[in-house]
Amino acid sequence: METPPKITDTVQQCYHCGDSLRGEQIEHDGKLFCCSGCKVVYEILEQNDMCNYYTLQSTPGNSPSAIEVSRFDFLDEESVQRNLLNFTDGKTGKVTLALPNIHCSSCIWLLEQLYKFDSGILQSRVDFLKKQLTVTFLHTKTSLKKIAILLTSLGYDPELRLDAIEKKVESETTRSLYYKIGVAGFCFGNAMLFSFPEYLGVDANEKTLRETFSYLNLLLSIPVFFYCSYDYFRSAVGGLKKKVINIDVPIALGIVLLFTRSAYEILTHTGPGFVDSFCGLLFYLLLGRLFQSKTYDRLNFERNYKSYFPLSVIVKKEGRETTVSISSLKKGDRIVIRNNEIIPTDGLLLRGEASIDYSFVTGESNSIGKVLGEMIYAGGRQVGSVIELEVVKEVSQSYLTQLWNNFNDESKSDHHLSNLSNGVAKYFTMAILAIAGSVGAYWIQIDTLTAVNAFTGILIVACPCALAISIPFTFGTAMRIYGRNNFYIKNIHVVEVMTQARVMVFDKTGTITHAQRSSIVFNGPELSQDEIDAVLSLTKNSIHPLSRLIGDSFSGNTVYVNNFSEELGKGIRGSVKEFHYKLGSRQYIGGIHRSEKLNETRVYLSINDEVRGYFSIVNSYKEGLQDILRSLKSSFKFAVISGDNESERVQLQKIFPPETELRFNQLPSDKYDYIKSLQTNSKKVIMVGDGLNDAGALMKSDIGIAVTENISNFSPSCDVIMDSSSLSRLSTFITFARDSKAIVVASFILSFLYNFVGLFFAVQGKLSPVLAAILMPLSSITIVVFTTVTTKLFAKIRGLS
Amino acid sequence: MEVQKFSYDNRIVRDFTIASVVFAIVGMLVGIIVASQIFTPELNAGIQYITFGRIRPLHTNAVIFAFVGNAIFAGVYYSMQRVLKARMFSDLLSRIHFWGWQLIILSAAITLPLGITTSKEYAELEWPIDIAITLIWVVFAINMFGTIIKRREKHIYVAVWFYIATIVTVAMLHIVNSLELPVSFLKSYSLYAGVQDALVQWWYGHNAVAFFLTTPYLGLMYYFLPKAANRPVYSYRLSIVHFWALIFIYIWAGPHHLLYTALPDWAQSLGTVFSIMLIAPSWGGMINGLLTLRGAWDKVREDVVLKFMVVAVTAYGMATFEGPMLSLKNFNALMHYTDWIVSHVHVGALGWNGFLTFGMFYYLVPKLYRTELYSKKMANFHFWIGTLGIVFYVSSMYWAGLTQTLMWKQFTPMGTLQYPNFLETTLQIIPMHMIRAFGGLLYFTGVIVMAYNLVKTAKQGSFLANEETEAPALQKAELSSKETFHKMLEKRPIQFALLAFVAVAIGGMIELVPTFMIKSNIPTIASVRPYTPLELQGRDIYIREGCNNCHSQMVRPFRSETERFGEYSKAGEYVYDHPFLWGSRRTGPDLHRVGGKYPNLWHYFHMENPRSMSPGSIMPPYPWLLTQDIDTASTAAKIRTMQALGVPYPKGFDVTANEILQVQADSIAADLQRNKVPAESNKEIIALIGYLQRLGTDIKVKQ
Amino acid sequence: MSVIIVLLLCSFVMAVGFLLAFLWSVKSGQYEDKYTPSIRILFDEKKDNRK
Repeated sequence: METPPKITDTVQQCYHCGDSLRGEQIEHDGKLFCCSGCKVVYEILEQNDMCNYYTLQSTPGNSPSAIEVSRFDFLDEESVQRNLLNFTDGKTGKVTLALPNIHCSSCIWLLEQLYKFDSGILQSRVDFLKKQLTVTFLHTKTSLKKIAILLTSLGYDPELRLDAIEKKVESETTRSLYYKIGVAGFCFGNAMLFSFPEYLGVDANEKTLRETFSYLNLLLSIPVFFYCSYDYFRSAVGGLKKKVINIDVPIALGIVLLFTRSAYEILTHTGPGFVDSFCGLLFYLLLGRLFQSKTYDRLNFERNYKSYFPLSVIVKKEGRETTVSISSLKKGDRIVIRNNEIIPTDGLLLRGEASIDYSFVTGESNSIGKVLGEMIYAGGRQVGSVIELEVVKEVSQSYLTQLWNNFNDESKSDHHLSNLSNGVAKYFTMAILAIAGSVGAYWIQIDTLTAVNAFTGILIVACPCALAISIPFTFGTAMRIYGRNNFYIKNIHVVEVMTQARVMVFDKTGTITHAQRSSIVFNGPELSQDEIDAVLSLTKNSIHPLSRLIGDSFSGNTVYVNNFSEELGKGIRGSVKEFHYKLGSRQYIGGIHRSEKLNETRVYLSINDEVRGYFSIVNSYKEGLQDILRSLKSSFKFAVISGDNESERVQLQKIFPPETELRFNQLPSDKYDYIKSLQTNSKKVIMVGDGLNDAGALMKSDIGIAVTENISNFSPSCDVIMDSSSLSRLSTFITFARDSKAIVVASFILSFLYNFVGLFFAVQGKLSPVLAAILMPLSSITIVVFTTVTTKLFAKIRGLS
Repeated sequence: MEVQKFSYDNRIVRDFTIASVVFAIVGMLVGIIVASQIFTPELNAGIQYITFGRIRPLHTNAVIFAFVGNAIFAGVYYSMQRVLKARMFSDLLSRIHFWGWQLIILSAAITLPLGITTSKEYAELEWPIDIAITLIWVVFAINMFGTIIKRREKHIYVAVWFYIATIVTVAMLHIVNSLELPVSFLKSYSLYAGVQDALVQWWYGHNAVAFFLTTPYLGLMYYFLPKAANRPVYSYRLSIVHFWALIFIYIWAGPHHLLYTALPDWAQSLGTVFSIMLIAPSWGGMINGLLTLRGAWDKVREDVVLKFMVVAVTAYGMATFEGPMLSLKNFNALMHYTDWIVSHVHVGALGWNGFLTFGMFYYLVPKLYRTELYSKKMANFHFWIGTLGIVFYVSSMYWAGLTQTLMWKQFTPMGTLQYPNFLETTLQIIPMHMIRAFGGLLYFTGVIVMAYNLVKTAKQGSFLANEETEAPALQKAELSSKETFHKMLEKRPIQFALLAFVAVAIGGMIELVPTFMIKSNIPTIASVRPYTPLELQGRDIYIREGCNNCHSQMVRPFRSETERFGEYSKAGEYVYDHPFLWGSRRTGPDLHRVGGKYPNLWHYFHMENPRSMSPGSIMPPYPWLLTQDIDTASTAAKIRTMQALGVPYPKGFDVTANEILQVQADSIAADLQRNKVPAESNKEIIALIGYLQRLGTDIKVKQ
Repeated sequence: MSVIIVLLLCSFVMAVGFLLAFLWSVKSGQYEDKYTPSIRILFDEKKDNRK
């Protein structure tokens, strides 16, 4: 509990770190510093006239002396460095660090001049949107640790987690998309250039010209066919292998025919081919891809338990404490866990008062006491004094890891290709093939050439480009709008699944209740100030959450408590002056146990063994919950699964519609299984939760919505990260998703209309390149405009900014 | 490896700035003079060197290449060093670039008044100067790419991309368009003939505008506008997209300058289509520029630099909207050859280029001299008077253009031209031209004030030739990721740029040779014959005097034009025109069918004093033609050159050419003498008359 | 219009050049960060920093 006392404005502040100046203070050109460390940092800044760092934000730094340097010891470790460095050749190294504190342009300015602080730093570059800093440094002159300390002293504490920045892969894929778009766009532009003369009626006598143009066209179409179209072929073939006709099948078909027919026409001088339409088609398709590949730089939907874990832990070997990375923990190691540190792996308690808060594993708000020699599972947070454990399992075998891996091998049914478009695609393809076939069959009796023209022509105009791009553009726009309303979805497919979900499961603690803002009332005769003081002092001795809740709800002055004792999970006792106080469950204070349905948690108080009354602790539910339920009742079945005890049942029954299923004392695995059971009768499930205890459920559910107070904070792996303030608008978000789906359907119809126009000519074997060149881009553009505009419009109607 | 201390070269920036300001004054002064000559022809005081036809090119060249050119270099040298965190590759090259460019301008200022010109708009300079330009440009290129290679900032800011585009493209355009066969040290004939020449010229002409007056300025905008406003550009992403889009579309808009000409239909439409497409990327740039200032309009109210830039960007938007509109056939049919075009051009020149330059200088000079601007008042005065000038200029020219085109196309109920006398339509718009000149004067005043203001600023400050700074060395690519050939890739943009350029040059050449060997498939007309030696000489005089600045030689297929000038022009008539002389503005009537329209005598007097033949004419007199001798010495060489270009003169024609010339000259002289005119057959006037009488007669039905 | 082929090839080769330049710029991560550069250019040299 040694949080520094609040600094009132009257107290002198350190110019650098803003700490109040107690005791000795250093003065340096008219400014006061709490310690020489702060002064040094200031001096460096000053020497490089970078002092407007201070004018930009007052007392921005951290006192170097205040930083527990040991915190960063582990950074010297080989294994850790291997983890963090993006590159090293032994001499120079390059590391990318996440600095959540980057917030304004002056941060960029300062951080990119790090080399002025440490000659070992060669270069430092900020990515403002990602809030990352990439540092290139000389191993000989400096070290990761030094850099981390420097950054911290400047007020940018690096965020060092096991799942360090490994996003390289992603950027590679988007890059190749950029290449493809570049190539397609280039070929498209030039193919247009070379095709226009044809359309604009180049005179017959300019034969040389025509041929040059068409050959150049053919040249252009080659990279588009073999490079840009590759993904579509692969996906189409992959689909067919799995006996499914996905949207890419007709597209691939169209692409192949466009190319082959164009090539044929050009080489045989029978026509100019469709090269420009072909390149254009790919260009638009790829643009769609790009649009749907949008991700949120700062959010990570794939977090797993590692994200919580510290990179390192203190190991005690013959009295000496050393930090080691947790990955290198061995069975039998003796590890030291300080207050509020997380237990990285299962171990036996060897020393100290262990009170483990598993809230983010189980959601259970109470923390559990452990006695010496007892087993303590990974993932818990020690609350209170320092404890020592003996490692019994390596991190990779720990209970938590196991639990996690169980969830993981159940990978979410990947809806990578939208079912919506694929559903349509199946019938669409069938229909088109049928038409093409029959028309071809009809013509074949009259004239083969026309037959071929008609057949290919049909498949070409029918190529569902518009179909393929309407989803990315509609849902993509929706995704951006969601984002603007603090509702961040993992990818655009989430929108579609949201419309299909029929069950909504809530986690209680933290999700729909305010963990902090519980109301505490004392039922019974008014307590005197002395009694209050006594109770207060008593609770101060316990770190049990309930005690703390009660303690915080009173103000008074602490008095000395003698022979204090705590029966873990039951209650606490102690005597003040001549009075003997007991605080705890009914049985504990000696009352007869009446099993009564409670809609609240009660803590009884007895003075000298006579019941004085009880504190009732009622969770307060988040605002707007009612409204959500009301507006979604029609379309959703609800359920609440809570790690807590039944105490809230009545309360919940009041709020939720009668048929709602309420489950209590749920372990993460129970929640997970429950979701699974719901899904078995092919229902799509939305899980709204927080904390790791819901991780399994969130992952298993079709849409896992993680509610968090602060978006950039940790949230378990999920499909949606939602700011808890937006919870009340959940229903709006869902209705908006439905709107978007409607828009997609509408746009499908629209694109079919274009197809019919094309078909009209195609069936007569009269599909001219000009027509294709007009129809294809026109339809694509119409779709793009239509979808984006209408989506934005609906957002307005739904009151989404 | 570690932190490197280095310095920015400010001297070169200052030098280019000074040059730019000086030539702004010169160029605009000439501009005012030519503008005034239109309503007071005698302004040239009978001096042939300052007649309209000769100094109008001087004006355009001075403004485009001297004023704007130097401004670009100043801005590029300033911004590029800072954006790339590196001093220019080589101070020597910088100096060479500077002095070389000024010499080129000087030579232009000498040759153009002397009538040494290729007659191709914005490419009037003769071949030795063309070569000089190429060399200096290469120097610039080396210097720039060198800087890019040794940069200390990994990311190449979008502005630099615009500079790269400029440098590569302009080089190619310049070379392709200036391919010409020298006759003598200061005379050459274009490699292309007639329609082809026209196409190349306007492909160049348009892209000169695109890549000399637009892309570099967008680059400057993307650097100086954010700097002046001290806020990042509205959307950096958009700036990147808009760059690549612009680059891929611009190059093809050229042919829209030739709508309704003898150019094949499809090629014209091609120009139109791409011009329309250009709106998108162009406006992308404008919007990005303006939105950068969103929420900072209060700043704009104070800061004169921003004021200039806002107007500049707006002007850019207007011009880039009007351009595509003008490339629409029906609108173009109306406005081509009129003052509307002049107006359109000046929205760009005065508004976009001029104002952005001024804004830049007001930002730059105080920085270079480490002081505040001498007088904000004056700067504001400059802004307002400049804006006023633009308004006067542009509106008057729009009005003039509209008036004239309507008069040209006005028919009486009986179906005859309402204004059959072309002169009427010209005189009608004289007042507009006066207002235009006045507008120019206002604008010019502003520039003078700026010059004074800047000089004062420089005086009160202390110039910092080398601005010391430091930056960590650019970490070699291996660090950034595993791939080892990445390092090689680092150098790619340069390699590519050069490769592209070389390939273009070579590929172009390879393509060109056969082009002139194979019979061009323009429908050839049997009756079309090469020019006689005398006509050829006369044509060169026509070129020397810059007649094509006021007279077109392209009758478009409209009733209004065929009624007025005669049979419309066919592509086949120009096959021997090296260079083409279609002209782009009809201050005077079209001359393609003038041959045989008037007797020799008429031409003789008309040249001596136009007023004597057509009262009120604003054409300047050319008395010197009556006294100067035809340069028969050059005839043989000219014939040989023409033969080399594929003009079918019989073998050995060059030897006998002068005799044939003499015969034709004598006949014309005799005809004049018969009318009591003491004309000698060896005077230039004879050759000119010979040429004029020949014009368009090949397929003219003799009455 | 044989000359148009020339112009066309010129433009084409030029375009190819720019395409390659584009590919390079993506390859070398020029566009990985599409925001910070626009701020970076605003930072002035030391001298001007303290007004």
